[in-house]
Order: sequence, then C-alpha cells, then structure tokens
Amino acid sequence: MDPTAVKLLAVGLIGSLGLMGPALALGLIGHSALNGLARNPEAGGRIFTSMILIAGLTEAIGIYALIIAIILAMVVK
Amino acid sequence: MAKTKRGCLGCSLPVAIIVLLLVVGLLFIGFAAGPVGQSLFGNILPGWLSIPEPEIELPASVVFHVFGFPVTNTLFTTWITMLVLVGLSIAATRKMKIIPKGIQNLFESLLGFIYNLCQDVAGEKNGRMFFPVVATVFLFVGFNAWLGLIPGYNSLTIKTAEGVVHLLRPANTDFNTPLAIALSAVLAVQVFGFKQLRAKYAGKFFNFGRIFKSFGLLFKGKVMDALTGMVTGFVEAFVGLLELLSELVIHVISFTFRLFGNMTAGEILLMMIAFLVPMLVPIIFYGLEVLIGFIQAIIFSGLTLIFMTTAVSHHEAEEHA
Repeated sequence: MDPTAVKLLAVGLIGSLGLMGPALALGLIGHSALNGLARNPEAGGRIFTSMILIAGLTEAIGIYALIIAIILAMVVK
Repeated sequence: MAKTKRGCLGCSLPVAIIVLLLVVGLLFIGFAAGPVGQSLFGNILPGWLSIPEPEIELPASVVFHVFGFPVTNTLFTTWITMLVLVGLSIAATRKMKIIPKGIQNLFESLLGFIYNLCQDVAGEKNGRMFFPVVATVFLFVGFNAWLGLIPGYNSLTIKTAEGVVHLLRPANTDFNTPLAIALSAVLAVQVFGFKQLRAKYAGKFFNFGRIFKSFGLLFKGKVMDALTGMVTGFVEAFVGLLELLSELVIHVISFTFRLFGNMTAGEILLMMIAFLVPMLVPIIFYGLEVLIGFIQAIIFSGLTLIFMTTAVSHHEAEEHA
C-alpha cells in the first residue's frame, strides 16, 4: 500500500481509538465525583480538588496519544 | 423615582439588539475570510482579513547567538518569564504593609494558596520545608503558560539566517523546558528523601535485607522458614528495583509529556482556530487555554508535593510492618 495512505490511516486510528480510553476514564471520574458530592455536599471542596487532580493525570494519557499522532503526521515523511 | 426595568444583561433592548447584530456580523465576516468561506464564496473580502496557513514545527528555531551559543525563541521567552517574575516580586515587596494592598495582596493570596496546599498534603513542618520548590515549580510553569497567551507570542517575527522565524514562542512548547523542570523536581524529591532518612532511603529501593536474614535462618536449621523468607525476599527486592525505575524514569517521562503535550496541543489549537475563523471564536479557546495553564501548573506542583511527601514518610510504613 501507499506509504502516505498508511500513515494517514494510522494517524486517523490514533485519533479515534487512542482517545476513547481517556474519554471513558474522565466520564467515570466525573461520575464518582458527582456521586460523592451528592452523598456528602459538605466535602465539596476536597472532592472538587481531588477530581481536578485526577482528571489532569488521566488527561495526560490522551495527550500521549496526541503526541504520537502529531509526531507521525509531521515528522515522519 | 421609577427605575426602568433592565433586561438583557443590564442593557436596554436597542443596545442589546445592536450588540447581537455586531457579533453575528463579525462572526460571518470572520467565517467568510477564513479558508472555509474562501472556498465557498471566493475571495470577496480584502486580503488583510485572512491569515496565512500556520506551519506547525515542533523544534524551536534559533533567533540570535550570544558569544557563539545559539539562543532559541523558547529560551528567550524563558528569560522574559524570569524577568517578569523577578519584577513582580520586587513590586510586591516594596514598602510592605501589615494590611496588604495591591500587588502585595495579589501575591500574598497566590502564595497563601500554595502554602495551604503544601500544609494540607504534607503537614505543618514538612509543608514549610517543601514550600520553596513547590512554589517555584508552580509559578514558573504557570507564568510560562499564561505569558504565552499575550499578543506578540507566535506572531512577531524576526529575520535570521534561516529565514523568517517567530521571535517569541510559549516556553512550555519546547520539549526542553518541561524536561528541565521535571528533572529538577525529581532530583528535589530524591534530595529531600535522603536528607530526611539518610541511608534508610536507599533501603527503600535496594531491599535485600530479608534475603540475607533468610540465609541466616538456613544455617540455624529452620529450612521451611528460610525458603519462604527467601521467596518473599526476592519479591521485595524486585519490587524495590521496580520502584527505583518508576521514580527516576517514569515520573520524568510522564511529567514532561503531560506538560509538553498539553501546551503544544493548546498552541496548535489556537493557531488552527485563528486560521479557520479569525474573529471572535478564538476568545473561547483563549479562555480554555488560561484554565489549562493554571490546571497544569497545579498538577505539576501538586504531584511534586505528593512524591516528596511519600519519599519522606516512607519509613513509618515499613517500621510497623
């Protein structure tokens, strides 16, 4: 197959499959954070802070996939 | 005196209609001037409304040389960030008052936020010890990200030997800056661990004590205990070496890629949006970038703080085992 076609196919697959995992994980984080907030509204501050921290860590995994896609698209000829 | 009822966000109705028409008009002009509108309608709008296609290059370009040492545009912006931080610190500590006002108040609230974070996570005494490193990382990463949004970054160009390059580029988008901060943070974690625990800190990674003790048990005649002890000892040693790898290699890599990826993705996003619809729509993404810069600074410094806390308090968990 044409190398350019394979490269574009790979970048497209990274963008779709690679970013599914972090999106699902972030949804689960929001789900549990809202659950905890609904059960115990007084702990809202600490729940929010922990949620932001964990969301940042999970977001990083999606960023790794994005970096791979950028490197494939821009640097590999 | 009867007050006229003001709906529409405090403006009277004609003003609100004029503002709405202006916004819609600007959006339409922006859309028509961008590449999508140009392919649909042709070049009906003057050329100075459109933006040339952005070239995304990952490595930073050299802008000038200092005594033969090449200075890239991201290194230059790092110096600018340092100057801004020093300037703000001088402005905040001049003529300090007991009841702070102005810049002193702003800085006190910012540093108070970081100090409370340190004390919440690490306790009273350790929080005070960790505060300088954590605050430095937070302020450096945060100001690098925020200063990169000022107009002038990624737009001012300078003519060098290789052609026309950008003079200013947000410092976190070069791979070297996040790598440097990550290496310094991991080094600081190890230094704090050694300072607090002396030689026992190395015992966390090189956990061969149980293997030697089981050898001793063999010679005393308790064979079964010795064998189970040796198996457990090998598992503990393996886990210790894995922790060493995780501390030194994986933390550095994840810190670097997290910050670099977020900032580069944000820069590319802003460039693309400014290219597609030049008017009004980039405001939304600027807001997103401000928030992301702040969150990345919190995550970097917060994670450094957490690693330092676990490095210092390790021996209490082991002693009770």
